[in-house]
Amino acid sequence: MSHLVGGPSLLDQVAFAVLAAAVLGFGLLTITRKSPVAALMSLIGASCALAGLFATLSAHFLAVLQILVYAGAIMVLFVFAVMILNRDDEQPIALRGLFLRAAGVLAAGYLFYRLAWLVVNERRADVLATAAALPIPEYGNAASIGRLLFADFLFPFEAVSLLLLVAVVAGVLLVRPSRSAPPAGNGETS
Amino acid sequence: MPNYLYLLASLMLFFIGTAGALLRRNALFVLMSVELQLGAGNLALLAFARGLGDQKGHVVAFFVMALAAAEAAVGLAIVVSVYRTRKRIDLDAVSELRN
Repeated sequence: MSHLVGGPSLLDQVAFAVLAAAVLGFGLLTITRKSPVAALMSLIGASCALAGLFATLSAHFLAVLQILVYAGAIMVLFVFAVMILNRDDEQPIALRGLFLRAAGVLAAGYLFYRLAWLVVNERRADVLATAAALPIPEYGNAASIGRLLFADFLFPFEAVSLLLLVAVVAGVLLVRPSRSAPPAGNGETS
Repeated sequence: MPNYLYLLASLMLFFIGTAGALLRRNALFVLMSVELQLGAGNLALLAFARGLGDQKGHVVAFFVMALAAAEAAVGLAIVVSVYRTRKRIDLDAVSELRN
Protein backbone atom coordinates (compact mmCIF):
# COMPACT_ATOMS: atom_id res chain seq x y z
CA MET A 1 0.00 0.00 0.00
CA SER A 2 1.40 3.37 -0.89
CA HIS A 3 0.61 6.16 1.50
CA LEU A 4 1.13 9.42 -0.29
CA VAL A 5 0.92 12.90 1.17
CA GLY A 6 -2.53 13.45 -0.29
CA GLY A 7 -4.07 10.99 2.16
CA PRO A 8 -5.28 7.43 1.81
CA SER A 9 -6.77 6.39 -1.47
CA LEU A 10 -10.36 5.29 -1.83
CA LEU A 11 -9.26 1.67 -2.08
CA ASP A 12 -7.40 1.95 1.22
CA GLN A 13 -10.43 3.46 2.92
CA VAL A 14 -12.81 0.81 1.64
CA ALA A 15 -10.39 -1.98 2.58
CA PHE A 16 -9.95 -0.62 6.08
CA ALA A 17 -13.68 -0.11 6.62
CA VAL A 18 -14.61 -3.59 5.41
CA LEU A 19 -11.84 -5.34 7.34
CA ALA A 20 -12.41 -3.43 10.57
CA ALA A 21 -16.16 -4.06 10.39
CA ALA A 22 -15.48 -7.75 9.75
CA VAL A 23 -13.09 -8.01 12.71
CA LEU A 24 -15.52 -6.34 15.11
CA GLY A 25 -18.57 -8.20 13.78
CA PHE A 26 -16.92 -11.59 13.96
CA GLY A 27 -15.55 -10.71 17.40
CA LEU A 28 -19.04 -9.90 18.64
CA LEU A 29 -20.33 -13.14 17.13
CA THR A 30 -17.54 -15.04 18.88
CA ILE A 31 -18.56 -13.96 22.35
CA THR A 32 -22.32 -14.13 21.82
CA ARG A 33 -22.86 -17.49 20.10
CA LYS A 34 -24.27 -20.28 22.22
CA SER A 35 -22.69 -23.14 20.34
CA PRO A 36 -18.90 -23.46 20.72
CA VAL A 37 -18.48 -24.50 17.08
CA ALA A 38 -20.25 -21.38 15.79
CA ALA A 39 -18.11 -19.22 18.07
CA LEU A 40 -15.01 -20.99 16.79
CA MET A 41 -15.92 -20.33 13.17
CA SER A 42 -16.51 -16.66 14.04
CA LEU A 43 -13.10 -16.57 15.68
CA ILE A 44 -11.55 -17.90 12.47
CA GLY A 45 -13.32 -15.15 10.53
CA ALA A 46 -12.07 -12.52 12.98
CA SER A 47 -8.51 -13.88 12.69
CA CYS A 48 -8.57 -13.78 8.89
CA ALA A 49 -9.94 -10.22 8.85
CA LEU A 50 -7.30 -9.25 11.41
CA ALA A 51 -4.65 -10.67 9.08
CA GLY A 52 -6.08 -8.41 6.36
CA LEU A 53 -5.73 -5.42 8.67
CA PHE A 54 -2.12 -6.41 9.33
CA ALA A 55 -1.52 -6.48 5.58
CA THR A 56 -2.90 -2.96 5.19
CA LEU A 57 -0.32 -1.90 7.80
CA SER A 58 2.39 -3.35 5.51
CA ALA A 59 3.05 -6.15 8.00
CA HIS A 60 2.95 -8.87 5.37
CA PHE A 61 4.97 -11.44 7.28
CA LEU A 62 2.80 -11.08 10.37
CA ALA A 63 -0.35 -11.27 8.24
CA VAL A 64 0.67 -14.63 6.80
CA LEU A 65 1.76 -15.82 10.24
CA GLN A 66 -1.58 -14.77 11.74
CA ILE A 67 -3.46 -17.00 9.32
CA LEU A 68 -1.04 -19.89 9.73
CA VAL A 69 -0.94 -19.79 13.52
CA TYR A 70 -4.55 -18.85 14.32
CA ALA A 71 -6.61 -20.36 11.54
CA GLY A 72 -4.21 -23.30 11.36
CA ALA A 73 -2.73 -24.36 14.65
CA ILE A 74 -4.82 -22.77 17.40
CA MET A 75 -8.15 -23.52 15.71
CA VAL A 76 -7.30 -27.19 15.38
CA LEU A 77 -6.56 -27.29 19.11
CA PHE A 78 -9.89 -25.64 19.84
CA VAL A 79 -11.77 -28.01 17.55
CA PHE A 80 -10.31 -31.01 19.34
CA ALA A 81 -11.17 -29.48 22.71
CA VAL A 82 -14.76 -28.84 21.58
CA MET A 83 -14.95 -32.43 20.42
CA ILE A 84 -13.83 -33.72 23.83
CA LEU A 85 -15.92 -31.28 25.88
CA ASN A 86 -19.17 -31.66 24.03
CA ARG A 87 -21.43 -29.89 26.50
CA ASP A 88 -23.74 -26.90 26.49
CA ASP A 89 -23.67 -24.56 29.40
CA GLU A 90 -26.96 -23.99 31.13
CA GLN A 91 -26.49 -20.33 31.93
CA PRO A 92 -24.04 -18.67 29.58
CA ILE A 93 -23.79 -15.21 31.12
CA ALA A 94 -22.06 -14.85 34.46
CA LEU A 95 -23.41 -11.57 35.79
CA ARG A 96 -26.68 -11.84 37.68
CA GLY A 97 -28.79 -9.08 39.07
CA LEU A 98 -29.65 -5.68 37.71
CA PHE A 99 -27.20 -3.80 39.92
CA LEU A 100 -24.17 -5.84 38.88
CA ARG A 101 -25.03 -5.53 35.21
CA ALA A 102 -25.60 -1.78 35.39
CA ALA A 103 -22.38 -1.25 37.35
CA GLY A 104 -20.39 -3.38 34.90
CA VAL A 105 -21.79 -1.63 31.84
CA LEU A 106 -21.20 1.80 33.39
CA ALA A 107 -17.62 1.07 34.42
CA ALA A 108 -16.69 -0.52 31.09
CA GLY A 109 -18.40 2.25 29.16
CA TYR A 110 -16.58 4.95 31.09
CA LEU A 111 -13.20 3.25 30.63
CA PHE A 112 -13.86 2.84 26.91
CA TYR A 113 -14.94 6.47 26.62
CA ARG A 114 -11.78 7.73 28.30
CA LEU A 115 -9.46 5.56 26.21
CA ALA A 116 -11.20 6.37 22.94
CA TRP A 117 -11.22 10.06 23.85
CA LEU A 118 -7.49 9.88 24.50
CA VAL A 119 -6.82 8.27 21.12
CA VAL A 120 -9.05 10.66 19.17
CA ASN A 121 -7.77 13.67 21.04
CA GLU A 122 -4.16 12.84 20.22
CA ARG A 123 -4.83 12.01 16.60
CA ARG A 124 -2.63 14.87 15.39
CA ALA A 125 0.47 13.39 17.04
CA ASP A 126 3.09 12.06 14.65
CA VAL A 127 2.70 8.46 15.68
CA LEU A 128 -1.07 8.49 15.26
CA ALA A 129 -1.41 10.66 12.19
CA THR A 130 -1.61 9.38 8.64
CA ALA A 131 1.36 7.10 8.20
CA ALA A 132 4.18 8.48 6.13
CA ALA A 133 5.82 6.63 3.28
CA LEU A 134 7.47 3.34 4.13
CA PRO A 135 10.84 3.89 5.84
CA ILE A 136 12.45 1.10 3.83
CA PRO A 137 11.07 -0.66 0.77
CA GLU A 138 11.20 -4.10 2.38
CA TYR A 139 9.35 -2.96 5.54
CA GLY A 140 7.57 -5.87 7.15
CA ASN A 141 8.48 -8.68 4.80
CA ALA A 142 9.86 -12.00 5.92
CA ALA A 143 13.49 -11.28 5.05
CA SER A 144 13.82 -8.10 7.07
CA ILE A 145 11.84 -9.41 10.06
CA GLY A 146 13.93 -12.58 10.02
CA ARG A 147 17.13 -10.57 9.94
CA LEU A 148 15.96 -8.64 12.99
CA LEU A 149 14.82 -11.82 14.70
CA PHE A 150 18.10 -13.69 14.27
CA ALA A 151 20.38 -10.74 15.02
CA ASP A 152 18.97 -8.44 17.67
CA PHE A 153 16.38 -10.75 19.16
CA LEU A 154 18.17 -14.08 19.05
CA PHE A 155 18.00 -14.76 22.78
CA PRO A 156 14.27 -13.97 23.15
CA PHE A 157 13.64 -16.07 20.06
CA GLU A 158 15.35 -19.09 21.61
CA ALA A 159 13.54 -18.45 24.89
CA VAL A 160 10.22 -18.49 23.03
CA SER A 161 11.12 -21.81 21.42
CA LEU A 162 11.80 -23.19 24.90
CA LEU A 163 8.44 -21.79 26.05
CA LEU A 164 6.65 -23.59 23.23
CA LEU A 165 8.44 -26.84 24.09
CA VAL A 166 7.40 -26.51 27.73
CA ALA A 167 3.82 -25.80 26.63
CA VAL A 168 3.73 -28.93 24.47
CA VAL A 169 5.11 -31.11 27.26
CA ALA A 170 2.69 -29.57 29.77
CA GLY A 171 -0.23 -30.14 27.42
CA VAL A 172 0.64 -33.79 26.96
CA LEU A 173 1.18 -34.27 30.69
CA LEU A 174 -2.09 -32.61 31.66
CA VAL A 175 -4.37 -34.58 29.38
CA ARG A 176 -2.58 -37.91 29.74
CA PRO A 177 -5.16 -40.54 30.61
CA SER A 178 -5.02 -42.88 33.61
CA ARG A 179 -3.39 -40.51 36.03
CA SER A 180 -4.37 -42.61 39.00
CA ALA A 181 -3.17 -45.85 37.43
CA PRO A 182 0.64 -45.73 38.01
CA PRO A 183 1.87 -47.60 41.08
CA ALA A 184 3.95 -45.73 43.62
CA GLY A 185 7.62 -45.20 42.82
CA ASN A 186 7.25 -45.73 39.11
CA GLY A 187 6.48 -42.76 36.92
CA GLU A 188 6.55 -44.74 33.70
CA THR A 189 3.07 -45.25 32.33
CA SER A 190 1.83 -45.48 28.86
CA MET B 1 -5.34 5.22 6.68
CA PRO B 2 -4.69 7.40 9.71
CA ASN B 3 -3.16 5.38 12.47
CA TYR B 4 -5.59 6.39 15.19
CA LEU B 5 -8.37 4.55 13.39
CA TYR B 6 -6.36 1.35 13.75
CA LEU B 7 -5.96 2.08 17.44
CA LEU B 8 -9.71 2.65 17.79
CA ALA B 9 -10.41 -0.67 16.07
CA SER B 10 -7.89 -2.34 18.37
CA LEU B 11 -9.54 -0.75 21.41
CA MET B 12 -12.99 -1.96 20.39
CA LEU B 13 -11.73 -5.48 19.71
CA PHE B 14 -9.99 -5.53 23.08
CA PHE B 15 -13.19 -4.48 24.82
CA ILE B 16 -15.14 -7.17 23.00
CA GLY B 17 -12.59 -9.73 24.14
CA THR B 18 -12.66 -8.43 27.69
CA ALA B 19 -16.44 -8.56 27.80
CA GLY B 20 -16.35 -12.15 26.58
CA ALA B 21 -13.69 -13.16 29.09
CA LEU B 22 -15.57 -11.59 31.98
CA LEU B 23 -19.13 -12.49 31.06
CA ARG B 24 -19.03 -16.00 29.65
CA ARG B 25 -18.89 -18.88 32.08
CA ASN B 26 -17.88 -21.61 29.66
CA ALA B 27 -14.09 -21.96 29.84
CA LEU B 28 -13.80 -22.48 26.07
CA PHE B 29 -15.40 -19.10 25.38
CA VAL B 30 -13.12 -17.46 27.91
CA LEU B 31 -10.07 -18.85 26.10
CA MET B 32 -11.42 -17.65 22.75
CA SER B 33 -11.99 -14.19 24.21
CA VAL B 34 -8.40 -14.13 25.43
CA GLU B 35 -7.33 -14.90 21.86
CA LEU B 36 -9.35 -11.88 20.70
CA GLN B 37 -7.62 -9.71 23.29
CA LEU B 38 -4.19 -10.86 22.17
CA GLY B 39 -5.11 -10.14 18.55
CA ALA B 40 -6.21 -6.63 19.52
CA GLY B 41 -2.90 -6.09 21.28
CA ASN B 42 -1.06 -7.24 18.17
CA LEU B 43 -3.03 -4.80 16.04
CA ALA B 44 -2.03 -1.91 18.32
CA LEU B 45 1.61 -3.04 18.26
CA LEU B 46 1.67 -3.14 14.46
CA ALA B 47 -0.10 0.24 14.18
CA PHE B 48 2.51 1.85 16.43
CA ALA B 49 5.30 0.10 14.53
CA ARG B 50 3.93 1.57 11.32
CA GLY B 51 3.62 5.01 12.85
CA LEU B 52 7.17 4.95 14.18
CA GLY B 53 8.58 3.32 11.06
CA ASP B 54 10.26 0.71 13.24
CA GLN B 55 10.09 -3.02 12.67
CA LYS B 56 10.78 -4.03 16.27
CA GLY B 57 7.05 -3.96 16.94
CA HIS B 58 6.67 -6.75 14.40
CA VAL B 59 9.11 -8.89 16.35
CA VAL B 60 7.18 -8.30 19.57
CA ALA B 61 3.93 -9.18 17.78
CA PHE B 62 5.62 -12.38 16.62
CA PHE B 63 6.43 -13.25 20.24
CA VAL B 64 2.86 -12.48 21.27
CA MET B 65 1.64 -14.94 18.65
CA ALA B 66 3.94 -17.65 20.02
CA LEU B 67 2.63 -16.83 23.48
CA ALA B 68 -0.94 -17.16 22.23
CA ALA B 69 -0.18 -20.61 20.85
CA ALA B 70 1.39 -21.74 24.13
CA GLU B 71 -1.49 -20.25 26.10
CA ALA B 72 -4.06 -22.04 23.97
CA ALA B 73 -2.25 -25.37 24.35
CA VAL B 74 -1.87 -25.18 28.12
CA GLY B 75 -5.26 -23.56 28.70
CA LEU B 76 -7.13 -26.17 26.70
CA ALA B 77 -5.18 -28.95 28.41
CA ILE B 78 -6.20 -27.54 31.80
CA VAL B 79 -9.84 -27.29 30.69
CA VAL B 80 -9.84 -30.89 29.47
CA SER B 81 -8.18 -32.03 32.69
CA VAL B 82 -10.73 -30.16 34.82
CA TYR B 83 -13.55 -31.62 32.76
CA ARG B 84 -12.21 -35.14 33.37
CA THR B 85 -12.21 -34.75 37.13
CA ARG B 86 -15.38 -32.69 37.63
CA LYS B 87 -17.49 -33.17 34.49
CA ARG B 88 -18.03 -29.41 34.31
CA ILE B 89 -16.43 -26.59 32.42
CA ASP B 90 -18.31 -23.72 34.03
CA LEU B 91 -15.65 -21.54 35.56
CA ASP B 92 -17.94 -20.60 38.45
CA ALA B 93 -18.16 -24.27 39.35
CA VAL B 94 -14.42 -24.80 39.68
CA SER B 95 -13.66 -22.33 42.43
CA GLU B 96 -11.60 -24.67 44.62
CA LEU B 97 -8.16 -26.03 43.92
CA ARG B 98 -8.73 -29.25 45.85
CA ASN B 99 -10.32 -32.08 44.01
